[in-house]
Amino acid sequence: MIRNIAVAVCLTVFVSGPAAAGDVTEAAVLALSCAACHGPGGASPGSIPAIDRLTPSEIVAALRAFRSGTRPATVMDRIAKGYSDAEIAQLSGQFGKGR
Amino acid sequence: MSPVLSRRDIGRLAVGVAAATVLGAGPARAARKVDVVVVGGGFGGATAARYLKQFAPGLSVVLVEQNRTFHTCPFSNLVLGGLRQISDIAHTYDRLSDRFGVEVVHQRALALDVETRTVRLADGSGIGFEKAVLSPGVDMRWNALSGYDEAASEVMPHAWKAGPQTVLLRRQLEAMVDGETVIIAPPANPFRCPPGPYERASLIAHWLQQNRPKSKVLILDAKDGFSKQGLFMQAWSGLYPGMIEHVPARDDGRIVNVSASGRWVETAFGTRHSGGVINIIPPQWAGAIARDAGLANADGWCPVDPTTFASEMAPDIHVIGDAAIAGQMPKSGFSANSQGKVAAANIVRVLAGEAPVSGSFANTCYSLVAPDYGISVAKVYRSTQDGIIGIDGSGGLSPMDGGAAVRAHEARFAEGWYASITRDMFG
Repeated sequence: MIRNIAVAVCLTVFVSGPAAAGDVTEAAVLALSCAACHGPGGASPGSIPAIDRLTPSEIVAALRAFRSGTRPATVMDRIAKGYSDAEIAQLSGQFGKGR
Repeated sequence: MSPVLSRRDIGRLAVGVAAATVLGAGPARAARKVDVVVVGGGFGGATAARYLKQFAPGLSVVLVEQNRTFHTCPFSNLVLGGLRQISDIAHTYDRLSDRFGVEVVHQRALALDVETRTVRLADGSGIGFEKAVLSPGVDMRWNALSGYDEAASEVMPHAWKAGPQTVLLRRQLEAMVDGETVIIAPPANPFRCPPGPYERASLIAHWLQQNRPKSKVLILDAKDGFSKQGLFMQAWSGLYPGMIEHVPARDDGRIVNVSASGRWVETAFGTRHSGGVINIIPPQWAGAIARDAGLANADGWCPVDPTTFASEMAPDIHVIGDAAIAGQMPKSGFSANSQGKVAAANIVRVLAGEAPVSGSFANTCYSLVAPDYGISVAKVYRSTQDGIIGIDGSGGLSPMDGGAAVRAHEARFAEGWYASITRDMFG
């Protein structure tokens, strides 16, 4: 029994290696929602435009234009209204050439 | 909010749990111990498992899912409408294990012990954990609707979990005689996929129009109104004139009693309706493993922290997806996926000794009314001290005056969404 406990404890220490949380920033969390439509990392496998090759300034311009209604859309006009200028700036660094 | 523990604290707790597990295990095998156990491999759980490993490859992550093949509820209405095969909505867990290093255990999780932080599996073994993510989805509340139990669902399918139930309902539709009625009976709120029953009515009507043109769809609703109602009604009058009748609760649409042997349903005011095919979508609550572990409230749903999804009853257990009370977010696959990522991010942060970050979520629910006719409702959400709330001014419905081109565009995007989110879930 004692030996079993020791084994269990060793296993615990072994499997609980330090997690690297450095990349899991507030900006990264903000960008997580995008993947459900635009694909993981913005690399859409289907008919929704991919966003993984855009530059940060292209992303900022697109989201602002969707938000103001100057760029027509089916759904991005509705989605973009959920993000402030500061959040759009954060998002722009999370995809494609901004990463 | 979860307490932030130092690595030393976590280590001490782990020793205690490991020892307790070994000493108290009785006839069952001693539990091994991993960093995170995810229970349930659907939209919430598969996503959470993938992102836990993506964020922190060093974490040991076990996904417990009884089925080797997962059938998505989204797009299962296309199977009912003859537009897809059941195999088109089937997914496996191979890439989660091969590409992301998730250990997938295909067993039924029988119970979760909050005290010893152990998940008990069907074969008698256990898995201890630092953190657990529960994404059990919904269970049907058998007999909440008089006469509707599991046996009755083999005669009057719910098809509200995709798979054999979907196939059964599809076969019943194919066996229908022209002129018979399809009854769809949706429940009161809250339930999984609020627009789903009405997309289902649409795509069944689409199939009937071409294959059983004298038949119609009768929706007997426990509610007065429903998601995207104006858009659905507008589409039905144009695409399926006279084929879909919606009876709201105030007009005696709410059914209170069903007879599987008699193939009838009875409303609150005693009207009996018979149908060639009867699809009962019964009241629901959180999956049993969450309720049995004491994580649900009196209504059967699980209160959680709006940032980490830590259970209000047990801070090391995170409940996501349909089972959770996620503020203003609807119970949708998209919501569960969005929640799974935020929960994974904050579990990784907390395990590394960092504070959680505020959650940001989105939801876009597409409904297909016909193969080239899509409508949607969307919203952006944030974690706040008052729960998860929708951002004012964000989201909303497809425009009523969208026109055919916009509807066709949204139908294509619905397919694009399916391709993307299933890639996001399963790799």
